Amino acid sequence: MDSTMILDLMRSGIRLTTPILLAALGAALCNRAGILNFALEGKMLLGAFLGILSAYWLHSSPLGAFVAMLSGALLGSLFAFLYIRYKVDLIVLAIALNMFVLEMTVFFLRSFFGNVGTWSDPSINQLPDLEIPLIHSIPVVGQLLSGHNMIVYLSWLATICLYVLLFHTRFGRHLRAVGENPAAAEAVGINVARIQLIVLMLSGALAALGGAFLSIGHLTLFTRNMSNNRGFIGFSAALFGLNNPVGVFFASLLFGTADALAVRLQNVTDIPPSLIQFLPNVLTIVALVLIALRMRGKELVARMRFRSRIRKQLAEEQAQRGEEFA
Amino acid sequence: MPHAVEMTGISKYFPSSNVQANRGVNFRVQKAEIHALVGENGAGKTTLMNILYGLYEPDEGKILLDGQEVILRHPQDAIRCGVDMVHQHFKLVPSFSVAENILLGAEPGQAGFLRPAMENEVVRRLADSFGLPVDPQARVRDLPVGMQQRVEILKALQRDAQILLLDEPTAVLTPQETRELFDVIRNLAQRGRTIVFITHKLPEVMEIADQVTVMRRGEVVANNLVSETSIPELARQMVGREVLFRVVKKPAAPGSIVAAVKNLVVAGAGCYPAVKGVSFHVRAGEILGIAGVNGNGQEELVEAVTGMRPTEMGAVYLESHDITHLPVGERRAKGLAHIPEDRMSTGLNLKTTLDENIISTRYRLPEFSRRGFLLWANIRQFAEKIIKDLSVAAAHPGEGIDTLSGGNLQKIVIGRELSGDPRFIVADQPTRGLDVGSIEFVHKTLIEARDRGAAILLVSVELDEIRSLSDRILVMYRGRIAGELSANDATEESLGILMAGGKLAQVEKEA
Amino acid sequence: MAKHSSGKQLTNAVLIPVLAIISGLLVASLFLLVSGSSPLRAYQELFKAGFSCSRLTNCNLFQTLQLATPLILTGLSAVMAFRSGMFSLGQEGQFLIGATIAAWLGYAIHLPPVLHPIVIMAAAMLGAGLYGWFPGVLKTRLGINEVITTIVLNNIANLFMTYAVNFPMRADQGTTAHSPLIDDAAVLPAFVQGSKMGIGLVIAFVAAGLVYIYLWRTIPGYEQRMAGQVPLFARFSGIRNEGAALRGVALSGAIAGLAGAIEILGVHHRLLQGFSTGLGWDGVMVAILGQVHPVGVAIVAVFFAGMRLGAQIGLQAALQVPRELGGGLIALMILFVAVQNLYRGWIEGGREWFQKRVRRGDPVQK
Repeated sequence: MDSTMILDLMRSGIRLTTPILLAALGAALCNRAGILNFALEGKMLLGAFLGILSAYWLHSSPLGAFVAMLSGALLGSLFAFLYIRYKVDLIVLAIALNMFVLEMTVFFLRSFFGNVGTWSDPSINQLPDLEIPLIHSIPVVGQLLSGHNMIVYLSWLATICLYVLLFHTRFGRHLRAVGENPAAAEAVGINVARIQLIVLMLSGALAALGGAFLSIGHLTLFTRNMSNNRGFIGFSAALFGLNNPVGVFFASLLFGTADALAVRLQNVTDIPPSLIQFLPNVLTIVALVLIALRMRGKELVARMRFRSRIRKQLAEEQAQRGEEFA
Repeated sequence: MPHAVEMTGISKYFPSSNVQANRGVNFRVQKAEIHALVGENGAGKTTLMNILYGLYEPDEGKILLDGQEVILRHPQDAIRCGVDMVHQHFKLVPSFSVAENILLGAEPGQAGFLRPAMENEVVRRLADSFGLPVDPQARVRDLPVGMQQRVEILKALQRDAQILLLDEPTAVLTPQETRELFDVIRNLAQRGRTIVFITHKLPEVMEIADQVTVMRRGEVVANNLVSETSIPELARQMVGREVLFRVVKKPAAPGSIVAAVKNLVVAGAGCYPAVKGVSFHVRAGEILGIAGVNGNGQEELVEAVTGMRPTEMGAVYLESHDITHLPVGERRAKGLAHIPEDRMSTGLNLKTTLDENIISTRYRLPEFSRRGFLLWANIRQFAEKIIKDLSVAAAHPGEGIDTLSGGNLQKIVIGRELSGDPRFIVADQPTRGLDVGSIEFVHKTLIEARDRGAAILLVSVELDEIRSLSDRILVMYRGRIAGELSANDATEESLGILMAGGKLAQVEKEA
Repeated sequence: MAKHSSGKQLTNAVLIPVLAIISGLLVASLFLLVSGSSPLRAYQELFKAGFSCSRLTNCNLFQTLQLATPLILTGLSAVMAFRSGMFSLGQEGQFLIGATIAAWLGYAIHLPPVLHPIVIMAAAMLGAGLYGWFPGVLKTRLGINEVITTIVLNNIANLFMTYAVNFPMRADQGTTAHSPLIDDAAVLPAFVQGSKMGIGLVIAFVAAGLVYIYLWRTIPGYEQRMAGQVPLFARFSGIRNEGAALRGVALSGAIAGLAGAIEILGVHHRLLQGFSTGLGWDGVMVAILGQVHPVGVAIVAVFFAGMRLGAQIGLQAALQVPRELGGGLIALMILFVAVQNLYRGWIEGGREWFQKRVRRGDPVQK
């Protein structure tokens, strides 16, 4: 492989990372707030669908992306309402939603546009690619980083913003408190329900934006199950990145690059693509195991320290009482 | 000068548990006073404090703070009025720093952005101004319990708490940490803060409090100046003269030792030892009662003996078998039965039928299963027999049990646990929440089991129950056996003193 | 009159799915109206197409039953896991593992008829069972959430199957990758010429019966259910919760693997790229609507299969209504089961009102 192929690979990797990253950021946010959100897959697919449809009807792709984000946020708020008010099981709800979106997007497509498997229309414009002013003149780096779709840059911006939000704002701290110890948050007057609502809306919007990228960010088309599990892969990336936006960024990059690599290697060598895509998934499990082991290790150490401390304490108290009776 | 806190005529009834927690309570605290609120379990002290903290609204009565009447609907109201509470279970975020926890919900900063440097500075100044040094940047989860408590106190002080409510503050502290806490409390009182702390530990009351209010069964029974009272007097006031049940029973004829515990050390929640080296034995045909206010290690002791909690040090023996590290199933196989404290979530499965509940400890017996298959006909028969013999009302074997009354549920538990004539029965608060008839039934059943030769370990916070059932009584205080008394020698007074941490002047212990 | 709470449980168990089904049908009719069709007409066609049977050689019901076979089994797999207290969603991956093993052993070894499929199914169950056991260990020993691990493992199984069918097991270089045909000896025969409904269906129903007997009439099943419902109570009674949970999740994997094996041996006779259209997830939904009970699963599986088939033949072919409405209907019904807390209050109120009337013996006047 020569340098243009490597460059091409990395650019493709960045592109493939973007929807995963957006879903992963949403998942990380939810995890930090103590909510397991498995509906990001459905929200992403819905965003892809509504994104391209609104781009078509409103004759504007950016508007389409905006409508997509809106739908994600609305869906998220519906989830929040059902969860907070009625204690609905979010996992079962997610399974139902994912399935519903999968089937009904195709249903509507076929109802209104005829019997098609993939739908597109020449009038739909792809979302604009952007050249970054100074960077794009730099020889290698410029070609790597500049000229991507606007949503790619939005996703990088989202990463930075979420990092700042989580660790440098009051809201972020309250969010993390709610996720770690809701009782402590309630005790100081933090509105737990409000935070859960905002988190679900935000993560829904991010996932939907990722979906819009799929349908109108590069090629402009929609197919059945376009998201193809990326919502779940995003969830894995969030765990792998320890729910920290920066870690999540690199974890998503890993997954996205693996995808890009898999496709390209297939043309060049005999290595099957699925073997490469294996890696990020297996690594996720390994990461989960390592995190759990570390926790168990700490507990063991705490236990041993506790035992030695008791022995000392008991001996002390024994001596004390011995003196009293003497 | 008006009192810092004045509560008059406070009554509170909880329909869900059918308990009159507070009845016409009058409670007054002067400014800058250290006031202790003492009583046994169920005396109503925690409820009273929760009302003051805004967690509950009283059915009757009013609250005056500094002479002004206030209505407290929510802890936020209380905090705004200068009342704050440090709970037994801390409400801290483990991964946050000390400063982040203290300032949670009240973070300084513009436009929603955090200023960590400023936060650390604010906390440092706060801590120094009260003489309570802390490291603002330390992670709370790495701190010892005493230091975590200090963070909670600083949290309250940061919100300008003038009145601090401390709920059993020394429950989880080492003796050294307790001493430090007392210094802190004196310090705060000197600076004009009012401290109310709930406790059942009379030595601590004598050491640190100015005034002490004693509650019993929802009412205030006494209010003393600490300088004018003593541990025995307080103990007498705490325990009172309630003698509701006297079970007629033959004198015990104890046989050989069935169960024994040696130097048992059991860990409580967090990293403190709840049981600190306890030893005793129980003989066949004997009921050994363990008295004590809740929270002195009895629960952890019971859990360690029955296998629901690991033992850190020491040993548990059942008929010369060392069962210290055996799983529950094997202990039961060797003759252990356990009537648990919480029948609804531990002793029974309320989501299923009576049949499935009644054989949960006996399904491997040949009469109930063969080659891995359950013999439901036999199980049904057994269930019907239990229902008949114990008069369990409104119960049908194939039906769910979630609608049965507490007394009937306990009958099912007892029917199951006592069938098969266990050698060693651990009965943990067996009559909690039961009506009079059911209580009588449980007591009768336990005596009958004793007369049949079982060894019974009875743990209860109800003194009359302990006194009427037990042949020997041990009192647990702070994880240790504070004293042993025979049934005849165990007066309410002597038990009360031991339970509250005092020492008996005349030692009358059986060999 | 004593309140029979198990009677109440039974009415709830039937009422909730029925309400969910009706609600689903109602909401879906909105979609039908929007896309320009009459809901009544559409549902008529749907159910006729899914469940009708005019001649033995032209019987949609047969095809429905055949489609129901893997659904019954994956549904049972979910029941086994959920009842043991493990929210394992790994049916999809375990299904694929079982199918891959079956497709491979179908041509890689050669055994006489009857023996060949039995050995294959046993191997598939073993392999998929291990694949179900693994996330169970991660949960019981390390506390790792099994929902997450099973979903990731689904991905891994999918990738593995894709790899296998494209490379080591690839039969030829045609457009859709597939594995060699399995031996004739390994094929599970059909009952009627022209349909694929056969022994697999019998196995599925037998499995439903076995799962019921196992969970409600044997010791290990009893332990699993108690540990799943109230773990504290189970531990208190002497049950080893860890072992019970692991058994549940391993058996769950085995049953899902059996589903995969039967799909290969009875229907496709070889592994095809993309042959599983989310059958594992369908099983989860069957279990949810079927109130996590083998009887419910059997009924709902046939119902779902009929709806899918009816949507394909009745709606799409006859009325040009896209067949995806079938899947959409199913999703809606699960949605309404998920939000049952919303109308539980109404059910309770309705029950009280009804009981009051019955007790009074006359209509409520004031």
